Amino acid sequence: MINLASRDVLHGWGKFLFTGIGLGLLIGATLTMAGVFRGMVDDGQVLIDNSGADLWVVQQGTLGPYAEPSSIRDDVWRGIVGIQGVAETGNAAYLTIQMQQAGKDTRVMIVGIEVDRPNRPGAPPYLTSGRPILQGHYEAIADEKAGLRLGERVRIRRHDYTVVGLTRRMVSSSGDPMIFVSLKDAQEIQFLKDNDALVNERARTATNPAFNRPGVPGLLEAAQASATQARNVNAVLVRLAPGTDADVVAGDIRRWNRLTAYTKAQMEDILVAKLIATSAKQIGMFLAILAVVTAAIVAFIIYTMTLAKVREIAVLKLIGAKNRTIAAMILQQAMALGVIGFLVGRMAAGLWGPAFPKYVLLLPQDAIGGFAIVLTICALASSVAIRAALAIDPAEAIGG
Amino acid sequence: MDTPAIKLTGLKKRYGTGDAAVDALKGVDMTIWPGEVVGLVGPSGSGKSTLLKCLGAVIEPTAGHMELAGEVIYDGVWKISDLRALRRDRIGFVFQAPYLIPFLDVTDNVALLPMLAGRDNAAARKRALDLLTALDVRHRAGAQVSQLSGGEQQRVAIARSLANHAPVILADEPTAPLDSERALAVVRILNDMAQQYNTAIIVVTHDEKIIPTFKRIYHIRDGKTHEEAGEGRPI
Amino acid sequence: MKAPAKRTAILSILGALFIAGFGWIVATQGPLAPVAVTLAQAKEARLERRLFGIATVEARRSHAIGPTQAGRVARVLVDQGDTVKAGQLLAEMEPVDLDARFAAGAAAAAGAAQRVTSAEAALAEANSRALLAKNSADRYADLRKKNFVSQEAADAKAHEAAAALAARQAASAALAAAKDDVRRAQSEAAGAGQNRANLRLVSPVNGIVTARLAEPGSTVVAGQAVVQVIDPTSLWLRVRIDQGRSNGLAAGLPTEVILRSRPDEKLPGRVERVDWVGDAVTEERIANVVLDSVPDGLSIGELAEVTLYLPAVDKALAIPAAALQRHGGRSGVWQPENGRASFKPITVGASSADGLVEIRRGLAAGDAVIVHSSRLLADNARIRPVESLK
Repeated sequence: MINLASRDVLHGWGKFLFTGIGLGLLIGATLTMAGVFRGMVDDGQVLIDNSGADLWVVQQGTLGPYAEPSSIRDDVWRGIVGIQGVAETGNAAYLTIQMQQAGKDTRVMIVGIEVDRPNRPGAPPYLTSGRPILQGHYEAIADEKAGLRLGERVRIRRHDYTVVGLTRRMVSSSGDPMIFVSLKDAQEIQFLKDNDALVNERARTATNPAFNRPGVPGLLEAAQASATQARNVNAVLVRLAPGTDADVVAGDIRRWNRLTAYTKAQMEDILVAKLIATSAKQIGMFLAILAVVTAAIVAFIIYTMTLAKVREIAVLKLIGAKNRTIAAMILQQAMALGVIGFLVGRMAAGLWGPAFPKYVLLLPQDAIGGFAIVLTICALASSVAIRAALAIDPAEAIGG
Repeated sequence: MDTPAIKLTGLKKRYGTGDAAVDALKGVDMTIWPGEVVGLVGPSGSGKSTLLKCLGAVIEPTAGHMELAGEVIYDGVWKISDLRALRRDRIGFVFQAPYLIPFLDVTDNVALLPMLAGRDNAAARKRALDLLTALDVRHRAGAQVSQLSGGEQQRVAIARSLANHAPVILADEPTAPLDSERALAVVRILNDMAQQYNTAIIVVTHDEKIIPTFKRIYHIRDGKTHEEAGEGRPI
Repeated sequence: MKAPAKRTAILSILGALFIAGFGWIVATQGPLAPVAVTLAQAKEARLERRLFGIATVEARRSHAIGPTQAGRVARVLVDQGDTVKAGQLLAEMEPVDLDARFAAGAAAAAGAAQRVTSAEAALAEANSRALLAKNSADRYADLRKKNFVSQEAADAKAHEAAAALAARQAASAALAAAKDDVRRAQSEAAGAGQNRANLRLVSPVNGIVTARLAEPGSTVVAGQAVVQVIDPTSLWLRVRIDQGRSNGLAAGLPTEVILRSRPDEKLPGRVERVDWVGDAVTEERIANVVLDSVPDGLSIGELAEVTLYLPAVDKALAIPAAALQRHGGRSGVWQPENGRASFKPITVGASSADGLVEIRRGLAAGDAVIVHSSRLLADNARIRPVESLK
């Protein structure tokens, strides 16, 4: 027995292929949407993994440092490093700023890390070019998405920084590329104000009689100096010795250091479950609608294709083709359309995915799941057409 | 000529019920022998189409008796459970328009029937090529249907109707779209084939050009048939 | 049969291309693709080591010149930027009653001197009275021996002589007291004069006025500076270097200084002194760097970037610092092994300014390591060496 479906497809292959490509682009959009969602989750995951920390110690009662502002003194690590099970600590500062670059504003997340030894907590775990920060100041490692080149000098607030290394997939939870600088530089960026603010602040302090008292020389200067010397960080990243129970150490820190400590699992919960929950639902809704639209379009296409063949189907029935043969023909065509659509869609998503400003992650299991869903949708959609085909009266072939 | 290819006795067909009932066939008697080409002639609304559909086992008659190559297939009810197989294996169809399957090539259009009947592809194709040769369209065997002329298409359609060695072929206005020369050519072919394959062919027509060629004609009027001898003019 | 065969062939080629393209995308774009990496070899290299610090320009000696007691500023003679000489009068305080007190002292001294003169006169008179009385007493004593006069007369004369002597002693004491008065009055006057001189604020060094901190009429307390003077030849840089990177910091290291005001100019200098006391709050060490020649227009408080050159390690087995990564809680490098990555823990030493790090243990010369990667490497990850990423 020859395969009627393939013959039909081959006979009108141009039309069929274009229909498949059109459907594929729609499926590609759906897959990309799933990829955007996966990318968001992965961004959060990578943010956690790449920091290389086992515990995050932040200001008491905050969800910091990624989801909420947190500010702690930069010497609290001394109290933490002595806790049993703590192998290494690293101060980290995170702040999002607008960076002027090539005449346009780019949002970037400045990450301050300790650079006295290689691979301190918070440092990017791998580079795609260049080298790590080796001098204590004014060197930066940038994510490729920031659009900076190796050796470029970039101005951040009051200083010029040299880009010495590039990394990849290091973005904040909102997708802003990260720029790593030394902690001291980051503190300066974070807490030192711009010149106008400084001047205004000084004038404000000077008019305050409490700080500018006659007969107490030097008080004003002392007050002004102390105002610009804030030595805070956003979090202390803690690495634990192998075999240490993170929850125990976190409990110790919460109880004795009066700070909030998050384990990796809790941090994932904050970043993945809480921070992007709304966006995830948003995308989920969109995904559901896209799936429904895809199903409707597939059903419509298959139905139209079937209706265009009423005469042939009637003849087939008249000359004795079984219902099964006709149903199989329609089902196979729907499946073929689904396969072409899926392949085109996966290819399209793979091609345009990297062009997205935020990370688009196309997981193989998503692709496989998507493939199964596409085929199911096609099968369901073809059932409508099959019902219509089976309802065709073979007598129609006999004129009058 | 001992067994008629088709034998109808008192075949009736009523559409609808009660007051709205319409009797399309009011008792048709018809006997057609193998190798015979018989004309079925009648005006529109005479019950011509209903009779054809009953013969084609597409609609069920209301009453009567129907025999196909000696086997009773209808006697008040269908005696055959698989009408589809019946149509496939024992009745050939030729239509007004050829109604070939456009996405199959010429050979496969013909070979489709044996394939549907469960023959393997090679045997089916061989049968198809034999028929195409007999019908003088062998040279178009690999062509697409759309590349064929109307006459060629009609020949392929005839080949298809013969593919499963059907004892009866129903031809529904096979010459309607053709000019008289081609129409006569088709009738000639039908006659040749009836002879060659010992098949009964019922040609439903009101084409004045070809009516004189039949040796026997059934006129149908108000749901009844009247047998007449035709001119039997040689083609 | 020819046309369909040709069409079938074209379609199968198209299909094959399509599948191939799909496969290519899956293999190169997705997570199944091998990780692109760049490789380097461990090899002997010269490690130029440097330290880097942020510095501010400071004066080594800065003189805050002010009065020793509270008072009002009378005059300020210099302004910011003026060059001054040692001993030059810079400002003067309001003397208030010091001049009057000086005049009173002088007057008291003159009065005392007059009292000395009259005491001297009184003493002379007492002297002559005593002499006269003694002569008279001596004569009466002789006459008594000859019994020309009565005993009473002689005793009376002797008593007179003793009284005159006592009167002379009293006059002499009065003179000494008057002289003391003179001295006291004179030193009082001198003290007032010295206080007066203290109100004159003079420069102790040759230098430049860096700040004029009070204006005439304003009141300053003892010790508050009116004028600040620095010695411009004593300008140096106070460099802060992260404790964690300060190993090797020592006096005498050559340095290169880039001033904020002239970012394209590298000024040579050297470490003059390293502070014993670091900054515990900022976790920095502090060193002072002098420039070989102080450029014109150097301003105090200006920021500078200072690079300190440590002695280079001449021959060290080194790899690019970017190759150093952490895996499973240990520091080490990823090595290519039959197209896959495997992790090797190593111990490293010094790192150089150009991005090399010294191998202490774990690698031999010629061992290949993965420097850059397009993704985070994992054990047994498939790798694809490339010249450079992107």
